Amino acid sequence: MIYKVSYVVIGGEYPGSIRNETERPQVGSIVQIGRVKFEVTEVQEIIPPRDDFQFLHATVRPVKTGGSH
Amino acid sequence: MELIDILKGVELFRGLSTEQLSRLAAISHSETYPADAVIFSQGSPGDKMYVIARGEIEVRFQDHKGVAHSAIYLGAGQLFGEMALLDQGERSASVIAVQDGTEVYAISSHDFLALCQADTALGFIMMRNMALDLSFKLRHRNLDPATGL
Repeated sequence: MIYKVSYVVIGGEYPGSIRNETERPQVGSIVQIGRVKFEVTEVQEIIPPRDDFQFLHATVRPVKTGGSH
Repeated sequence: MELIDILKGVELFRGLSTEQLSRLAAISHSETYPADAVIFSQGSPGDKMYVIARGEIEVRFQDHKGVAHSAIYLGAGQLFGEMALLDQGERSASVIAVQDGTEVYAISSHDFLALCQADTALGFIMMRNMALDLSFKLRHRNLDPATGL
């Protein structure tokens, strides 16, 4: 199965992405869009599957970086 | 990985036979770009469309005030540059490689349309799939607050 995923960043301050994935994105997984890493917060089917393709919409938020010591 | 195996993983080519994929592979030309390389610029004539085999590209456009905006990132398996190929207008945005070694397959408008006319069944499937891809991009755009809609 190929997952065609529409990633949208919460808040709209950073553009989203469309790409094919070999594994279905999971809530909590990390994806890199451009040069920034994001955490997946929600995944839903956007349109019905066709043949070997599933079409998903994932909402993501920036990964919080740890504070310095 | 063989080019035909790459093409099988691209929605644009869904529904094509192995023989039809071979014909498409014959008119597809690999291009590899370093990070930050401009693949094409907004306003330039468009005579090719591209399929991303590896890496990621950024679509940027300048509004009427000359302010640059990043519209979307596209990764493996995605199509870009098809608008100018379909409507023969100038490029509506610039496309820049994000990752080193971003590999795309370029298909010229002339070769693509000649293939669609020679094999109308292939042409129908490709045009349907291009419409579906544009539909998916519109759905993404409707959901993405970064587009300002």
